[in-house]
Amino acid sequence: MAICTVYTTQLNPTCSSISKPSKSHLGFHQRQVVLYKRNSTNTYRPRSSGFSRPSYSIITCAADQTVVIGLAADSGCGKSTFMRRLTSVFGGAAEPPRGGNPDSNTLISDTTTVICLDDYHSLDRTGRKEKGVTALDPRANNFDLMYEQVKTIKEGVAVEKPIYNHVTGLLDPPELIKPPKILVIEGLHPMYDERVRDLLDFSIYLDISNEVKFAWKIQRDMAERGHSLESIKASIEARKPDFDAYIDPQKQYADAVIEVLPTQLIPDDNEGKVLRVKLIMKEGVQYFSPVYLFDEGSTISWIPCGRKLTCSYPGIKFTYGPDSYYGHEVSVLEMDGQFDRLDELIYVESHLSNISTKFYGEVTQQMLKHSDFPGSNNGTGLFQTIIGLKIRDLYEQIVASRSQTPVEAKA
Amino acid sequence: MMGSLALGSVSFWGSSRSVIKRDYDHDHGQDQKMKMKMMMMKKRSRVGMAVAMAGGAKFKGTQMREKQLNEMIEKKVKEATEVCGGDEKSAECKVAWDEVEEISQAKADFRLKLQKEDPLESFCQEHPETDECRLYDN
Repeated sequence: MAICTVYTTQLNPTCSSISKPSKSHLGFHQRQVVLYKRNSTNTYRPRSSGFSRPSYSIITCAADQTVVIGLAADSGCGKSTFMRRLTSVFGGAAEPPRGGNPDSNTLISDTTTVICLDDYHSLDRTGRKEKGVTALDPRANNFDLMYEQVKTIKEGVAVEKPIYNHVTGLLDPPELIKPPKILVIEGLHPMYDERVRDLLDFSIYLDISNEVKFAWKIQRDMAERGHSLESIKASIEARKPDFDAYIDPQKQYADAVIEVLPTQLIPDDNEGKVLRVKLIMKEGVQYFSPVYLFDEGSTISWIPCGRKLTCSYPGIKFTYGPDSYYGHEVSVLEMDGQFDRLDELIYVESHLSNISTKFYGEVTQQMLKHSDFPGSNNGTGLFQTIIGLKIRDLYEQIVASRSQTPVEAKA
Repeated sequence: MMGSLALGSVSFWGSSRSVIKRDYDHDHGQDQKMKMKMMMMKKRSRVGMAVAMAGGAKFKGTQMREKQLNEMIEKKVKEATEVCGGDEKSAECKVAWDEVEEISQAKADFRLKLQKEDPLESFCQEHPETDECRLYDN
């Protein structure tokens, strides 16, 4: 379905030709029709200098203008579990672009394109070494280009986006990115630059606590010959100052924060297997209604395990309630513990409200579809799936609202 | 999946950098246990990798890439350890460990890609004559 916006403007009589919008980017424009209409008689128009001016209307038909989602995460680009769950909600699996650079960080599915913000590094690995800056440092990134290109894609025009090669550490020749229905920009700095922030229709920050980050990095790296416990610890420690200075502050701008902490259900637990996950949702965000438990705006503590539902150790505990986060009103839904069986999952789903499912059991179905993904038995998988559904809902609302914009043609 | 991991005490994150080494000694018992586990995992995974490679890595280019990444991790960890031996708080030290992180993540992504299919699959369909696209023999 095409959504058309009509721009009407007065043409200066000294202009002899209608100037077409300049094609500054390679790729296609969405279909544009320019109607040139001359006013029939010398009708006096008080607003102008007294002369009647011919007016022309440009009807721009943009097929469902791109919705832009920002995801701040420190876990590399595009291959993260969150991305896979998100693209799955929209249908289809996201794949690297076929036939292009095999080291591309981009993922493309039918509806969604995921861009890795590392592609906007202004300094490659050598450059960063020379200047003494990490990839976390804003000085290593070209925010002007990031803003320009995200804006251009949002307006329906394709761009040639650079590729940052994580293996060689070099900037490779660009690849063509065509405007998708949903564009996800994932990386370290999606909300750092104010102009880019304003382009986002929704933003998420994945906040992993230090203990959990350590446990995950050990799992990631422990099989590598070059790594040891010390090297993993040292790497996290060395990056922490830059992380705290440049990445962490973006939390305050996010519409939703997923915070991952060690469990409180097991006293003195230091294994990092059972997780406590908080979904912090900003109030008052357009097209986004926070998930709640039982009674919106109240404070709830809920242990679903009991007579109707038997759970194995350590069980499941939910809390929900309003709170304040960096000066904003938020609603916080928290899950501590693990799902062991299907019926636990469906039981929990049936008690949550505002989860934007299209049918009963959709959350459970999505979680089961990807039961091999990490986090499928705890709050990380649950909340990532729910956020995916909320984003789908947000997308559909935005599209619906745009199609209702009245189309006016000025005489 | 992995066996249970015993982490050092949570208070590790509260301590300042200069105290890290002392914490190691303190948690010597825990660390030793962890190191044993890591050694076992490495032994097991190297066998596993050889088996997996027969399934996952099809092309020579991919096998070379895997080798390259492994070597880079080792090299960069060594470099970082050396650079930071001088001054832990220096910019050089930060950058060195950041490089280690970048390569470690690249290796993890590579491993994940390999589980589905050889990353060079579609490239090699177009360019089967290139060196990277020679079929990898175990």
